[in-house]
Amino acid sequence: MLPIVLLSILGLVVLFLGFQKSKNLLLPATLLVLAIVLVANFLHWNDMPSLYFKNMLFENKFTMAFSGIVIFSAFLIVALTRGFVDDESAQPAEYYTLMLFSLVGAVMMIGFENLIMLFVGIEILSVSMFILTGSDKKNLRSNEAALKYFLMGAFATGIMLFGMALLYGATGSFNLTAIKGYVMANNAPSAMLYVGLLMLLIGMLFKVSAAPFHFWTPDVYDGAPTIFTTYMSTIVKTAGFAAIYRLLSGSFSGIYSFWWMTLAVITVLTLLAGNITAVYQTSFKRMMAYSSISHAGYLLLSLTALTNQSQSAIVFYSLAYSIATISAFGVLMLVAKETGVHSYENAERFEAFNGLGKKNPLLAFVLTVSMLSLAGIPLTAGFWGKFFVFSSAADRGLTWMLVIAILMSTVGIYYYFKAIIAAYMREGELSAIKVSPFYRLILIATTIITLVFGLMPDFLKGLV
Amino acid sequence: MNSSLLFLIPLLPLIGFIINGIGFRHVPKSLAGVIGSAASLGAFAISILAWNAFEGQPQVVKLFDWISIGQLTIPFAFQIDQLSLLMLMVVTGVGSLIHIYSMGYMHHDEGFGKFFAFLNLFLFFMLLLVMGSNYVIMFIGWEGVGLCSYLLIGFWNKVTNYNNAARKAFIMNRIGDLGFLLGIFMIIQTFGSVEYLEVFAKAANGSFSINDTVIVTITALLFVGAMGKSAQIPLYTWLPDAMAGPTPVSALIHAATMVTAGIYMVIRSNVLYSLAPATLGVVGGIGLLTAVVAASIGLYQNDIKKVLAYSTVSQLGYMFLALGVGAYTSAMFHVMTHAFFKALLFLGAGSVIHAMSDEQDIRNMGGLRKHLPVTFWTFFVATLAISGIFPLSGFFSKDEILAHVFEHNQIMWGIGLFTSMMTAFYMFRLLFVTFFGEFRGTHDQKHHLHESPATMTIPLIILAVLSAAGGLLNIPHVLGGGESLAHFMAPLFELSKQVNPDLFEGHLEHSTEYILMGVSVGAAVLSILFAYNLFMGKKVVPAADKDVTGFPKVLQNKYYVDEFYEAVFVNPMRKLSDLLYSFGEFLIDLVVNGTGRLVQFLSGRLRLLQTGETGFYVFAMVLGILVILAWNLLLK
Amino acid sequence: MFPLATPSIPDVVQSIPLQNYVLLATTLFIIGIVGVLTRRNALIIFMSIELMLNAVNLLLIAFSTYKSDPVGQVFVFFIMAVAAAEVAVGLAIIVMIYRNTRTIDIGFLNKLKW
Repeated sequence: MLPIVLLSILGLVVLFLGFQKSKNLLLPATLLVLAIVLVANFLHWNDMPSLYFKNMLFENKFTMAFSGIVIFSAFLIVALTRGFVDDESAQPAEYYTLMLFSLVGAVMMIGFENLIMLFVGIEILSVSMFILTGSDKKNLRSNEAALKYFLMGAFATGIMLFGMALLYGATGSFNLTAIKGYVMANNAPSAMLYVGLLMLLIGMLFKVSAAPFHFWTPDVYDGAPTIFTTYMSTIVKTAGFAAIYRLLSGSFSGIYSFWWMTLAVITVLTLLAGNITAVYQTSFKRMMAYSSISHAGYLLLSLTALTNQSQSAIVFYSLAYSIATISAFGVLMLVAKETGVHSYENAERFEAFNGLGKKNPLLAFVLTVSMLSLAGIPLTAGFWGKFFVFSSAADRGLTWMLVIAILMSTVGIYYYFKAIIAAYMREGELSAIKVSPFYRLILIATTIITLVFGLMPDFLKGLV
Repeated sequence: MNSSLLFLIPLLPLIGFIINGIGFRHVPKSLAGVIGSAASLGAFAISILAWNAFEGQPQVVKLFDWISIGQLTIPFAFQIDQLSLLMLMVVTGVGSLIHIYSMGYMHHDEGFGKFFAFLNLFLFFMLLLVMGSNYVIMFIGWEGVGLCSYLLIGFWNKVTNYNNAARKAFIMNRIGDLGFLLGIFMIIQTFGSVEYLEVFAKAANGSFSINDTVIVTITALLFVGAMGKSAQIPLYTWLPDAMAGPTPVSALIHAATMVTAGIYMVIRSNVLYSLAPATLGVVGGIGLLTAVVAASIGLYQNDIKKVLAYSTVSQLGYMFLALGVGAYTSAMFHVMTHAFFKALLFLGAGSVIHAMSDEQDIRNMGGLRKHLPVTFWTFFVATLAISGIFPLSGFFSKDEILAHVFEHNQIMWGIGLFTSMMTAFYMFRLLFVTFFGEFRGTHDQKHHLHESPATMTIPLIILAVLSAAGGLLNIPHVLGGGESLAHFMAPLFELSKQVNPDLFEGHLEHSTEYILMGVSVGAAVLSILFAYNLFMGKKVVPAADKDVTGFPKVLQNKYYVDEFYEAVFVNPMRKLSDLLYSFGEFLIDLVVNGTGRLVQFLSGRLRLLQTGETGFYVFAMVLGILVILAWNLLLK
Repeated sequence: MFPLATPSIPDVVQSIPLQNYVLLATTLFIIGIVGVLTRRNALIIFMSIELMLNAVNLLLIAFSTYKSDPVGQVFVFFIMAVAAAEVAVGLAIIVMIYRNTRTIDIGFLNKLKW
């Protein structure tokens, strides 16, 4: 549990660094913190699973892998934030600190053993995100996104808490293992337990934007500054899925027959809503928001199956999805900055990529690989993500869901290819974009990771 | 032979792709073509080595354990056996020739390096497809070749019409892939493995009876994949549209290799298919239907590449027909001979188009024989071969298929024969109109007419030799041959014979075989004579689209027999052709594009739910909660 | 860690049955939800959400007392602390919006849609 301690303390250090006149130190310092935390996270990789902080938090390879993904994603995203420092009104120190603090929440969500920790983790993460979403204070879109996110997020928290309270009432404990013990011991659990579980699940499903609780997602992702959209769509989602997985597998696998159908229906709705609505979008950023809903659907598919493959499937899927999303948004931020000069309206639309392939072959390539990975084309990491998820569903015999999921992934390819077509097949007046060497390095790194995992996806072996 | 050499076969094209792809602005033009062709030739050379070193037993060469999740382990391994060796020879051999040809054909193109990069990438995926030792590697190759085909169809048409053709190809292939992927997951679920040898061993161990539901479902799903990739009804209309790509691409991808992936897959899974005669029936039926529909559409096409495209669809149908009656060897035999003569036809057509300054309409050609002698003679050989004239390669492969179909079902045989008559007719129509008679193009074109450079004609000549002599591979007993291909491939089908011996029974009398051969050659000759009469004797030129009604007028001549033909053969045929054409092009496109439209329409509606009103969002959420609670607590 | 007193529920508490607490809390919770659904003023919506949270607190305390288990009451402290943080951030966001648009009616915030 070193990461939690380190992130809290070093986050404060970064905050105090902000008092200095020169802001140039902030980015390297934050990156250094994240690198340290990443190493610290894997220090105990070979240890036995263990409980920490009076049985409040749990740590095993699965939670470490998830924390690793989250911290690594944060590292990549922070590395792409060079723009902050130039902006007069921006408060880089606060942003970086909030990002570090929110990671504390994410790590707690991933490793919770007690529902109290789940609640605290979710709130740390969410409250930081409310602020970051509204960080572009003069921009009405950012304002609106922040308020929507805040109101709905708080509402969902209320639902979730009510669920937790009922669970407590039914089982007498907030501890995952104790709840599991209660569920196993009682053949016919009370209605209170069922309602509690469902409401808790609904609150968490809201955070990962599953239909019909997904409506906030496109608006919030669209309105937030792109860098924080990236943050939300990767880290919040990854941590959310880890938490749901821990909850379901840790306590409620015994009453699988009770909740699986509900989750199955939600999964299908999520897949349909995300993929189909994405087709119509003209804004790339908004398309990515819907696409993140659809990816939530695939991850839910694996959770619905809940076989012994599911664990590694969602680890892999989250990683593949996060990396590809980060590189796609990385390219978008560069391009939007360039086209935004000419017309604000077009900055985040598909048209912004027109002619990218001619003038900026590297960016076009990075974009292509990330789109292929999100679409699940073979030899990218995304393909294996889908493959593992689908095969876990096949294992459980959820053929009808599999059919829908594969159909929807076909639809997905259509809208992801729109970006590739814009980049290569359309003419545009985009000029060569200057990319700083560091930024370029990060983009190349994400691309290489995607391709390497596409070729050799077997790093999961140790996890199962 | 050192087995690690095998990995060089796909690796060489991949290296070629990387060199040409990453440095395509920096690699000089002269070098790009050489690198691309050398990669392909290198792969061919190693394939020959592998062929020589092959000892008769399937050899699985594992590079590393690729993935293991739960009980499922998927190694990254190649399987070298009779089938993959044959496919290797075809893919790398024909592929190399087409690479060399492209050095001449694409010489003036600005995207020369990019083109070779894509060709090499295609070759890489195609080799993965045929060499992989399990269904997952096959699927990766399967998707990869689709992607390359998509990239290459759009190689030229950057702006116009591209979207529709590419989207069609895309959607149809995706529908196919959906089936294939589902099939793979069902295989995983049923057999717990994706390795060919394990799956087939488990399938044949007696736990599955013939027409077991699971096996029938798996094979049917896999066949849906094959329908998409190999352009069978109803997923065939993308292939003619794919002709928008450069001609060497049509030759390589849309004639010789990629489109035969479906046939390869069925032969590879022959144990499963033999266990599911019900699926085989569907395969044969769809193959036959495709063959006859596509051939009849080919009768009245005027674009030289479109004729060849429909002909390809029709020949693929033939191959599936062969698979449908369990004649796996014959299908493979036809894959090979077809690869030779169809690649030759496309390359010849490319040579013609090259000489005609990118003219593709045969009505504007004519008399090219004198200007393009090499192209003409090679094209002529290929035309004879595809028409099934003794003793060219097409005769043997086609005859073998027809003989097997005859054992199976005489009516199907009749339709097959009729199809081959149509094939002979439209091919000779193409030949006569293009190469004989007066030149009908513009003055500029006439001035510009020239035989193609050696890089283009040499591959033509080599392919012509192969098209002529390819039949030697598998001369039937009846003609004193040894059926060497059948013997070579026999081990592949041992398990099939074990699980379903009925499928392989049935022998024809030698005399029957002679008669069948005579009939099919006779029929082909008859339709060639008919074509000759029409296009050489009367010098008929296919009418311009708006004058189609004038066509009978031209035919109206002193021979009563013409009117007889007109009434009994030509008119109904044209009606049928038109009808099938509209069936294919409109109905199917309607369904396919309609699916796309439907999704777009739904998308337009669904997105309106996203009103932007927080109140509505909360309402939807509360409603969701209420429904979930009510459903779980009250209804259960 | 702490030697716990033997669990015994005070008579005063027992004079009201547990299900009444549950009913009251649920009612409060539903009033909160209805408030969120029907109001358009961001502040009042926010207050309704606070009402929902307090309903949860009440429920937790009731359960905690009846089970003689202090963990439920500890959770209540956590909820109160987190809710306070949320209030701070939420009010800041609302103030920010008021500055920019001179209104906090959520009906006017629908620029982001479709």
